Amino acid sequence: MKLRSMMGVLLMTAGMAALAADLPPLSHSLTAQAAQTPAPMLALKDLDDQPHDLGSLKGKVVLVNFWATWCPPCRREMPSMDRLARKLAGTPFVALAVDIGEDADTIHTFISQLDATPSFPILLDPHARIMQTWKISGLPTTYLIDSQGRIAYSAVGGREFDHPEIERQVRALLKP
Amino acid sequence: MSEGRVRNGPGRTHVGNVPCLLLAMSLWMSAAGATETSRDAETGLESWQADTHGIQVRLTQISPDQARAFYQARGFTPEQAEDYASRCVFMTVVRNIGTLPIEHRLSDWRYVVGDGPPRTLRGKAEWDAVWVRRGVAEAARIAFDWAQFPSTQTFHAGDWNQGMTTYPLPRGSRFNLIVNWHAGDAERRTTLENVRCADETP
Repeated sequence: MKLRSMMGVLLMTAGMAALAADLPPLSHSLTAQAAQTPAPMLALKDLDDQPHDLGSLKGKVVLVNFWATWCPPCRREMPSMDRLARKLAGTPFVALAVDIGEDADTIHTFISQLDATPSFPILLDPHARIMQTWKISGLPTTYLIDSQGRIAYSAVGGREFDHPEIERQVRALLKP
Repeated sequence: MSEGRVRNGPGRTHVGNVPCLLLAMSLWMSAAGATETSRDAETGLESWQADTHGIQVRLTQISPDQARAFYQARGFTPEQAEDYASRCVFMTVVRNIGTLPIEHRLSDWRYVVGDGPPRTLRGKAEWDAVWVRRGVAEAARIAFDWAQFPSTQTFHAGDWNQGMTTYPLPRGSRFNLIVNWHAGDAERRTTLENVRCADETP
């Protein structure tokens, strides 16, 4: 590993043990949102500077995950989100991970530590402005958007996204 | 209002020499078994936990060095990080282990030292005002903001969150933390008793 990359990992993980101590296990379900309100706007660029707009994804089921590299449950749940996305490849399912308040270098350093590069786009919100629009209080927070652009499910705290119960909830939304 | 209590005093039961997962922990269970105090054998840091009325509340000591390292790695100068690390810092976890939604406001929580009056906790907005005055960079302030326990939040079944809370107390101080929340229409309270601030070196 190059020296710069090693330094990046050291900086990223500095003090992380304090945050990661004795955390609860990842939960296995999402909370249904009876109101099914329209999802707020989400238009951000990804790590490759490519634009993504939630509004253009009508007709698809979209998992929107808000996270940061320093957030232990975010780091724990991300591989399961990738497994779910790979499992549902070929269906109208899209996963978007929105990083809050960090730059591309920091995220690339984190990705280099993963066993597999995420198969979904990682979007950047370096000034944490989108969080106010979505009224998010803590990380990680996740929303499942139905094909009509409405918030169908939510989750506060870490999830095992490829758990059968969550996969069942997603597949139910994918049914025509 | 009903109240659950952590019992980590003379009545506690010591569970030692247990296999596997618990090898790393010294664990004391209350007589009722609903609440516990534990110590991480590797770090020496202690935790206090209450499970009552569908909520799980857990405080785990964060050592001064851990707090310094975390914030300096996110853009705080050593002096700025020391402003935070000089306080008593805890990783705070709230989890909905029941079926009703839970709503909490950090401004409703109180800590009590000895026979003193209940005191409020410093929230994110107050901290941010401090960091703006101190000229902390925006990226560092954003990381700080999201690393603190949320000022207010609703937890549905299975939801949980974590974040840091601070108490302006000397190393080794003890206090009780009174946690208030709403579950459905009911107002609830639990007290984590005899919580202890981390020493400079665990």
